[in-house]
Amino acid sequence: MTDQKGTALNARPNVGLHRLAILLCCMTLVLLVAGALVTSNEAGDSVPDWPVSFGRWLISSNNFVANVRYEYSHRFIAGVVGITTLVVAVWAYFSERRSWMKKLGLIAFAGVVAQAGIGGLRVLFPEHKALIAVPHALVAQSFFAVIVAIAVFTSRSWWAPHEVKTDTASLPLRRLVASSVGAVLIQLVLGAGFRHQAFGIIPHIVGAAVVTFLILIAAVVVLRRHRDDNYLGRPGKLSVGLLVVQLGLGVSAYLARLGAAGDPQPLEPMISLTVAHLVVGGLILATMVVLALRCYQVLGPAPQRAGDLAGTRGLHSSARGAAV
Amino acid sequence: MLKRIGLVCMMLILATVLVVVGCKKRSTSKDNENTDGGGAKPQYASKGDEGTITGKIIYDGAVPTPKKIDMSQDANCASAAGDKSADDLLVVDGKLANVFVYLKGGPTDKFSFPTPSDAVVLDQQGCRYHPRVLGIQTNQPFKVTNSDNTTHNIHPSPKTNLEWNQMQAQGAPPIEKKFARPETLIPVKCNQHPWMKANVGVLAHPYFAVSGKDGSYTIKNVPPGTYTLVFWHETKGEQTQSVTIAAKESKTQDMTFKGGATARATSMQIGPALVLP
Repeated sequence: MTDQKGTALNARPNVGLHRLAILLCCMTLVLLVAGALVTSNEAGDSVPDWPVSFGRWLISSNNFVANVRYEYSHRFIAGVVGITTLVVAVWAYFSERRSWMKKLGLIAFAGVVAQAGIGGLRVLFPEHKALIAVPHALVAQSFFAVIVAIAVFTSRSWWAPHEVKTDTASLPLRRLVASSVGAVLIQLVLGAGFRHQAFGIIPHIVGAAVVTFLILIAAVVVLRRHRDDNYLGRPGKLSVGLLVVQLGLGVSAYLARLGAAGDPQPLEPMISLTVAHLVVGGLILATMVVLALRCYQVLGPAPQRAGDLAGTRGLHSSARGAAV
Repeated sequence: MLKRIGLVCMMLILATVLVVVGCKKRSTSKDNENTDGGGAKPQYASKGDEGTITGKIIYDGAVPTPKKIDMSQDANCASAAGDKSADDLLVVDGKLANVFVYLKGGPTDKFSFPTPSDAVVLDQQGCRYHPRVLGIQTNQPFKVTNSDNTTHNIHPSPKTNLEWNQMQAQGAPPIEKKFARPETLIPVKCNQHPWMKANVGVLAHPYFAVSGKDGSYTIKNVPPGTYTLVFWHETKGEQTQSVTIAAKESKTQDMTFKGGATARATSMQIGPALVLP
C-alpha cells in the first residue's frame, strides 16, 4: 500500500536517525550559544584568518586566550555540527523512503556549508561586518529550524495515528502558526541587525510587538479549539511560556546594554543576558516550527476547500506524514 | 515547496556573496585612488614666516572614577605591569589628555605638503595601546609593534581608508601600513583584548597635535592664514574655534571640555550607527 507519491504507508520511524537529529538540534543550540558569545564579547575579528586559525587547524593553548576562546570554540563546534549534519543527510538519503526527507537532509547540509562560507566571509571582509553578520544569523536560525523539522518528521509522535480535524475558515490556525514562524524568523534577524549595529533598537521592538501578538493569538486559538489535544496544546503552551521569558530577557538585556555603554569592554550581566535572549529566541522558533508542522499534519483545510479536496485525506498520519 | 525554499536560500546566499565581492572591489579601488588631492595642489613652500599655536585643554566638571579593566581573560595581560584602569578619559589636575587638535581650511586646503618618511609608532604594551591617540599624515609609514608576551590583533575600522585586521604574535616584527586618505579619526581595536582601543587621526598636512597629560599641545610651523581649529576627544566629542595666524605669530588657543554625558559612539551604542554600503 502506498500513498500518492509512492511512499510505503507501513513505513516505520527511523529511531536512530531521529535520535541523531535530536542530538544535532542540541548541538546546534550550543553552536548558537557559541555564536552569541562571539558577538557579545566583540570577538568576531579576534582570529583574522579563515578557514584556519592563526595558520593552523588546531591552535596552541598559548593562543587560546581572551576572545580567541570564543571565536575558536565557535569554529570548532561549527565543524562538529557540520560533520554531524553530513551524517544525518547521508543517513536520511539512504534510509528514508520519503523522497522529500532525502532532500531535506541535503538542504540541511547545504545550509551548514553555506553558513560556514558566510562565516568565512565575515572574517575575511571585516569592513562589511553587519552586511555579512546579519545573513549569518538568518542562516543559523533557518538551519536550526530545518534540523528541528527533521527531528519532528522522524519522531514517533509524527508517525502515530492522528485524527485529521477541520481548520476553520475564519481564522485558519495553520496559516496563523506559519505566519508566526515567519515573524519569529524576521524578528531574530532584526535582533541580529541591532546587535551588529546595522540599525537601532526600534525595528526589533516593533518586531517584538508583532511576534508577541501572533504567538499569543496562535496559542489562544490552539488552546481554545484543541484543549484536549496535547499534540498541539503542548507546543502552544510552551510557546507562551518561552515568550514571557523572552520578553523579560529582552528588556533586561537592553537595560544591561544601556548600562554598559561606558564600560571599557563587554562585561556581565550584559553578555549572559544577550546570549540567553538569543537562545530563547531560537527555542521559540523551534517551538513554533513544531507547532506549525503538527498543525499542517492534523488540521484539514477549511470546509469550503475541503469539498474541493474531498477524498484526498485519510484519518491516519502516515499518509499525511509522507505527503507533507 | 522544498525546492522553492532551497532555491530562495541559494539565491539569498549568492546575492550576499555578490554584494560583498562588489563592495570589496569598490573599497579597494577607492583606496588605490590618489586620495589626498595633493596632485592638483601646489606644494607648500616655506617663507620662514610660519607661526605657532599652543594651548591647554581644560576639563570642567567632576571627573568620573575610571572603570577597572578585567584582564583576567589573558594571564599575560593580567600579570603585566601598569595601571588596569580605563584611560579613555584621562584628566590630570583639571587638564584633559589625548585630545587630537588639528587645523582645517585655510592654506591646508590650498597646498599639498610633503609626506614625512619617518614612521609613526603604535606600541602594544601591558595589553594597552601607546599612545591611545596619535596623528599621522597620509601615506606616512605607520608602524605597529608588540612589546607584550602575548598575541594581539590590530584592527583599524576606517570609513574611507581600507580596513585591515592582522595578528601580531609576541616577538613578531613590526607591522607597517599606510593610510591613503585623510580621515579623523580611525578607531583601532584589538579584538582579542576588547579593552584595547586607540584612535588614529590621518591628515593631508602636518598641522596637528595631541594634548599631553598636562593638557598642553603645540602646533608648529603654521602658515599664516585663517583656519578652523578642531579639538576632538574620544568620549567628549568635537569642538572648534576660528583662528587667524599672522606672520611669525605665536597664538594661545585654550579649549574647555565640559564634564557630564559623553558623546562617544562605541560598539555598544544603542542607536543607528552603521550605514550599510
